Amino acid sequence: MNVLIDAGNLQKTYGEGESKTEALKKVSIKVRAGEFVAIIGPSGSGKSTLMNILGCLDRPDSGNYLFENRDIGKLSDIELAKIRNRKIGFVFQAFNLLARTSALKNVELPLIYSGVKQDERNTRAMQVLEDVNLSDKLKSTPAQLSGGQQQRVAIARALINNPLVIFADEPTGNLDTKSSNEIMEIFKKLNEKGRTIVMITHEKDIAQRAARIITMRDGQITSDKKNLHKKRNITQV
Amino acid sequence: MDITEILNLAFEAIKVNKLRSALTALGIIIGVASVILLVSLGAGLRNYITSEFEKLGSNVLFVLPGRVGFGGRGPGGATVNKLSLEHVKRIERKVKNLVGVVPTIQQFTTVKYQNKVQKDVTLIGTTQLFAEIVNLPAVRGDFFDKSQVDSGKKVAVIGQTIVNEVFATKDPIGEKIDVKGQKYQVIGVLRAQGSTFGVDQDNAVIIPFTAAQRQFGTNQVNNIYAKAQTQTNVEEVAKLMKKVLLEDLSEDDFSVLTAKQTLSTIQAILGVISSTLAGIAAISLLVGGIGISNIMLVSVTERTREIGLRKAVGARPTDVLLQFLFEAIILSVLGGIIGLILASIGAWVASRFIPALITPWSVLIAFGFSVLVGVVFGVAPAIRAARLTPIEALRHE
Repeated sequence: MNVLIDAGNLQKTYGEGESKTEALKKVSIKVRAGEFVAIIGPSGSGKSTLMNILGCLDRPDSGNYLFENRDIGKLSDIELAKIRNRKIGFVFQAFNLLARTSALKNVELPLIYSGVKQDERNTRAMQVLEDVNLSDKLKSTPAQLSGGQQQRVAIARALINNPLVIFADEPTGNLDTKSSNEIMEIFKKLNEKGRTIVMITHEKDIAQRAARIITMRDGQITSDKKNLHKKRNITQV
Repeated sequence: MDITEILNLAFEAIKVNKLRSALTALGIIIGVASVILLVSLGAGLRNYITSEFEKLGSNVLFVLPGRVGFGGRGPGGATVNKLSLEHVKRIERKVKNLVGVVPTIQQFTTVKYQNKVQKDVTLIGTTQLFAEIVNLPAVRGDFFDKSQVDSGKKVAVIGQTIVNEVFATKDPIGEKIDVKGQKYQVIGVLRAQGSTFGVDQDNAVIIPFTAAQRQFGTNQVNNIYAKAQTQTNVEEVAKLMKKVLLEDLSEDDFSVLTAKQTLSTIQAILGVISSTLAGIAAISLLVGGIGISNIMLVSVTERTREIGLRKAVGARPTDVLLQFLFEAIILSVLGGIIGLILASIGAWVASRFIPALITPWSVLIAFGFSVLVGVVFGVAPAIRAARLTPIEALRHE
């Protein structure tokens, strides 16, 4: 399979003087199209920083990053915005839905920035909401939805532009076990259909659902293994 | 991403925060409404005064007792009135290019007819030329003539208000009215003039100068009215009149005014007053603009995560910038439109009591100013929003 993400010697430092922290110390990582990767590590291990850089939300201080064979370091902010819009879907721990805005409108959001017209936005948003089993919640605002439902809206939003890869940052961090399982099941199905998924978590149990587990500590990758004991079944509650 | 989409986003954000948006726009509403209303009142008043003076005719001159003008004492008031019939005669003799010159004696009085009483009537004693000089003919019956003035005949020409209040449907011509205990025969009705500065100009009685002199036992003249033959020589005639009067009187005893001069003086005063008021109103517009800026800054801070999310899903810095800028502009333009509507209603209501005129340029200026306020005060918060990096914005608590 093609290499989708190819990053070498990524370095990132935050703060100055006393509070200076090296978030990433020469991290290299490759992800092929269609992989399901979990990045696990304690807080402060640099996993979020790595994901922000891979997701084109942030730039490394040094190192090189090829996304789909394009050198991200040479692209302008506007071009990065376009890549995030067309090629990448994000799922956040806190869902990050627009308050007082319907599920449908939330899901449409990325399409607004792709220049898609209202009618088509509507049709496509309804389609992806159906894919995450929320056809009956189109008009609901985040406040009217459960945590699990909100995260499904967020996944629908990540999927709307049919991205190459989904970056999920602690997608189950704010959810109960049942909802977590639902979310993980959706990710599993998406991956089975060929979608690349890179997921950050600090829960070993959740990481076990991925085919490849990368462990980070103190800004470095300490292990990178195939998950041979990949859980096939959903844990019964 | 096209402009209409960004406009939609801005409109939606405004709709989501209805109360806050309404309160923010209120500052602009009040500012725009007060600027337009005050300017329209000023413009209305100027138009009205100009038309009043045009009715009088622009080649009319007045002589008032005392010194009139900036820094001087007012007419009448503390000064002793030294104008007399002698001065009228001097002017008649020595000033050429005059259509005529008339003295007036003016008093407020009460007029009675049978059991009807009409108060606060302006009584004017003058000569037959008065009708022509101030352009106030009799529309029914006749104005008195020279022989009636010379003989001091007790005749009166009355205003429309007196006809309505005292005679009602009865024909007043030939009836006798009682003016301070003396009977005057009504021989004519004056053309209706309406009211000026709330004073009913038709609540007047005009009698021959000689009859007034006799009744009030005075040799004084309150005002002298004159009319130049052409508009062009009004100033020259005024100078000449002044020179003639100075032969007998000192500078402080009288003032010669032309209608044009008086008009331009009043207009200048009104101009200063109305632009001062509009300036004060403009300050409230400025305060409204600061209100917009304040709310937009709060909004940017409050919606930092939203901005981060928008950037994460592909919004470019300019998309974010324009969204927030449009929000500010929409708020101020909506405020401007509502303010304009309120000012129109206000001017319409006011025009029943005082003249008010909404001028196109006051609307344009106030409206343009409100858009400008939106841009100027919206741009700083919008730039702030656009510069946020997606990471920081997403992490914001």
